[in-house]
Amino acid sequence: MEYVIEVENLSKSFGSKEVLQGISMKIGRGESYVVIGGSGSGKSVLVKCILGLIEPTSGVIKINGQDVAKLSQKELFKTRLKCGVLYQGGALFDSLNVIENVSFGLIYGLQVPQKEAYKIALEKLEAVDLDETVAKLYPSELSGGMSKRVALARAIATDPDIIFFDEPTTGLDPITSGIINDLIVRCTKEMGISAVSITHDINSLKHISDRVGLLFKGKIIWEGTNKELLATDNPYVVQFINGNAEGPFTTQG
Amino acid sequence: MGSHFAELSVFLDRIGRLFIGFLASIGSLTLFSIKAIWAGITPPYYWKQILQQAVQIGYFSLPVVGMTALFTGMAMTLQCYAGFSEFTAENAIPSVVMIAMTRELGPVLAALMVAGRLGASMTAEIGTMKVTEQIDALTTLSVNSYKYLVFPRILTGTFLVPFLVLIDDIIGILGGYLVGVYYLNFNAANYIRNTLESMVTWDIVSGLIKGAVFGFVICLMGCYQGYFSKGGAEGVGRATTNSVVTSSIMILLLDGILTFALF
Ligand SMILES: Nc1ncnc2c1ncn2[C@@H]1O[C@H](COP(=O)(O)OP(=O)(O)O)[C@@H](O)[C@H]1O
Ligand SMILES: [Mg+2]
Repeated sequence: MEYVIEVENLSKSFGSKEVLQGISMKIGRGESYVVIGGSGSGKSVLVKCILGLIEPTSGVIKINGQDVAKLSQKELFKTRLKCGVLYQGGALFDSLNVIENVSFGLIYGLQVPQKEAYKIALEKLEAVDLDETVAKLYPSELSGGMSKRVALARAIATDPDIIFFDEPTTGLDPITSGIINDLIVRCTKEMGISAVSITHDINSLKHISDRVGLLFKGKIIWEGTNKELLATDNPYVVQFINGNAEGPFTTQG
Repeated sequence: MGSHFAELSVFLDRIGRLFIGFLASIGSLTLFSIKAIWAGITPPYYWKQILQQAVQIGYFSLPVVGMTALFTGMAMTLQCYAGFSEFTAENAIPSVVMIAMTRELGPVLAALMVAGRLGASMTAEIGTMKVTEQIDALTTLSVNSYKYLVFPRILTGTFLVPFLVLIDDIIGILGGYLVGVYYLNFNAANYIRNTLESMVTWDIVSGLIKGAVFGFVICLMGCYQGYFSKGGAEGVGRATTNSVVTSSIMILLLDGILTFALF
């Protein structure tokens, strides 16, 4: 199997606080891998380490077989263009309107001329069920669901190989969540993009995952397929899926 | 004896820590500015961002900066008159206003206003971008945030604050003229002649040099505080206060140092 992302023994501490303590995982091409875990368990830190936004304390990260620590700044930026990211809060640029946001990576990263970039951006907006009526709106004028869609359109604009979704449905109502989940499945399965998602939304998890890893106390303590997830009697997984107050998870998680 | 020694060592320990903290922040500020300048002088160049900042600094700051200069020039002329008329030295007023504006008040007032207006908004803007992951988004969309956010601000600050200083000088002197001629009944032609006679190129140039240094410091501080702010909206608020306070202190401190160095 060909892996798009390989993480070996990744650790990250902030001062004396050990957030990640030796994480290893491999994500195959076209696969949708979901990391679940409680709030503050280090899910975002894990993704930011993979993207090179945070420097790991130790460990090896490979994207498309390349060790990112050994890449030059220029190569790293090139590799990042192969990665789309949907940030937790959307992270749309406040000072730019929708079309400028969506075309940003095309214009600045891939040096696509503006006119063509806008054309591609409109196509990507259509792919997330938005049309040109939103193109001139600013992020502050969008609803939560709409800004998630725009952020998704921006993430897929440069035709990435891998997309990272950081809590794509957190803060959305169940119906909008469902729509976003569908869009994620569409983006990954139909376009054949590999995906790494973070979530603690069980519905979303069942919907979008091929494989799941449970992050607890800085380690992946359980890993399995979507089907195994629902069948397993691992007490951690069972508690997480059912949202029980009692179980091996302590409240500190 | 022993307890004195213990007290002294605690005291020295504190001083040492403060000093090391100070050096560390000077170090990281220097590193930050080197990164920004290096990123900025290597292609591609983000002209649009540079132009936007130029308009922000050079144009939208004019009203506040001009207004402070006008009132300061007016008030100074009145104050000088109150003092100088006791010695019948009223004729010295135009040249005192001239020297004070060009050497000191022009650069310092313009810089303080810019620190309050622009330094604060830079920190708030960049800080918000930081805590809402917009800076991470820049990076993953393969844009160097130092080049895109920091360099345009530092560059335009360094080159356009001197321009504001010049405007400040002119408006301040004009304010003095208005009070002198229309309120204190100086002879207009005499006032203008006295003013022009006391104009010294180096006074003006030294003020512009100060302006460039202040502009650099304000924008560097504004970006730096924003870039390293953390902890949500509250953290951004704290960073904004820090930015204005530190750059104001730096302006006054550097003004002293530069005045020594330049005269
Ligand atoms: N830049 C940072 N500096 C210090 N601590 C951090 C930083 N980023 C994250 N952390 C800490 O790491 C832990 C995990 O954070 P995060 O990955 O955001 O959690 P989540 O699983 O909810 O996404 C938190 O306790 C957080 O306080
Ligand atoms: Mg998170």
